[in-house]
Amino acid sequence: MKKKILVVEDEEGLRFLYEEELKAEGYEVLIARNGREAIEQLEKGKPDLIILDIVMPVMNGMEALGRIVGKDRKIPIILNSSYPGYRQDFMSWAADAYLTKSIDLGELKDKVRELLEKGRAR
Amino acid sequence: MKNVLAMVLAGGRGERLYPLTRDRAKPAVPFGAIYRIIDFTLSNCLNSDIRRIYALTQYKSISLERHIQLGWNILSAPLGEFVGVISAQQRINEQWYQGTADAIYQNIYTLQEERPDLVLILSGDHIYKMDYRKMIAFHLEGGADLTVAAIRMDRKYSREFGVIEVDRDWRIIGFEEKPATPKTIPGDPEGILASMGVYLFKTEILVKRLIEDARSDSTHDFGNDIIPTMIGKDRVFAFDFRQGDRGGRGYWRDVGTIDAYFDANMDLVSVTPQLNLYDPQWPILTYQPTYPPAKTVLAEEGRVGTAINSIISNGCIISGGSVKRSILSPKVMVHSYAEIEDSILLEAVDIGRYAKIRSTIIDKGVRIPEGLEIGYDLDQDGKRFTVTGSGIVVVPKWIKL
Repeated sequence: MKKKILVVEDEEGLRFLYEEELKAEGYEVLIARNGREAIEQLEKGKPDLIILDIVMPVMNGMEALGRIVGKDRKIPIILNSSYPGYRQDFMSWAADAYLTKSIDLGELKDKVRELLEKGRAR
Repeated sequence: MKNVLAMVLAGGRGERLYPLTRDRAKPAVPFGAIYRIIDFTLSNCLNSDIRRIYALTQYKSISLERHIQLGWNILSAPLGEFVGVISAQQRINEQWYQGTADAIYQNIYTLQEERPDLVLILSGDHIYKMDYRKMIAFHLEGGADLTVAAIRMDRKYSREFGVIEVDRDWRIIGFEEKPATPKTIPGDPEGILASMGVYLFKTEILVKRLIEDARSDSTHDFGNDIIPTMIGKDRVFAFDFRQGDRGGRGYWRDVGTIDAYFDANMDLVSVTPQLNLYDPQWPILTYQPTYPPAKTVLAEEGRVGTAINSIISNGCIISGGSVKRSILSPKVMVHSYAEIEDSILLEAVDIGRYAKIRSTIIDKGVRIPEGLEIGYDLDQDGKRFTVTGSGIVVVPKWIKL
């Protein structure tokens, strides 16, 4: 079975990039444009991992993170932001990883693979 | 102590104190005539120079929040000092607090905003006088990640407490919640070290451990989950309460049951109480509206207003009745020929003529009609009131007699 990845990103161009590249890696990709949609997708789509932007309209990633963990304690979450400063936020420590955005998705793909494998071991 | 933030867990239901907790959370239960239980912990903070304090409420909190707003709005906000109330606001997720650790986790944004070096986690349920500065010094000196205050108890009480096992340096090497066969104190086979629910954490370690706990299957409780997982991977120490005990008698009470509550109150009318409320170096503060001074009136044959071995608060009038070994909160009226013995009368209780009250706790505002006897026929009392195993009667608020 294909692993499902939920990409939460408000920027359309980036969303498209992530979707294409992750599909090419053999994952099924779900999309949400903000934190609120992410929570809906979490319940509807049952993803195996979440890639979560922080600065987004409607509900930002940091708030969504708390709510996601409240609903599914163990789902792997990668915070993915252009701003490294959010690492100082205590709540960001609840993510399994914090990556600064890049259009080279190598690091992100490695982290996705690593966390999904860890998840299988759990 | 500007780098220390105190978080007082004030959501205790206190179910075994029912009916005193029917309308209020346990920290808001009146104690010692004019205090609420939480006043002791808050006073300990102020007397220890800790002036950044949040009380976390969730359950039947109106009475408690009102008390804190009225009585504890005494610090200087411009200096960064406060006693604040945070009611459960479901900021992080949509659930009530699951356990003591979850209560702090759900307020992680508060820790974020305050960014203290140390977080002192306290319970609003306990009565004791403790200088937290001694514990903080011990914590810093030992380079501890977590320090847990511990009191020696007889081993027969092990099933009521979190029992701590320490090595020679008081480093914690074991922790069990309410064990039947506890680890005793080295060299003291009849004694155990009980956790007092007083935890001092390095902030960053606290946040990390709370998040790990939030992301795992757990009861989200400091005693059950956080402390046991920290032993072995972090520097966790026990602090001997005797080193910080301001009363000097090892006094610490949970007052978890009506009987314990009754006894702890009655201690106060003894000649030398175990709990000294009169130490000017360690004042216990509270909210007290201004009422006229207490007075006793009438001195006719058989109709003498008297109070002996008792605590009588402001606003009380003992008019031709007698009060013995009792505790009267403000505005209690005792009318002619009434007899009160070994009882606790909370605020604005009114005792009618010829009423006889013995070994009874009467909650706020109850009016006892003329000639009623309580505490003399427990079978009869048991039909309307709570009667404990040791024969203490509790008359609840709002009852019409």
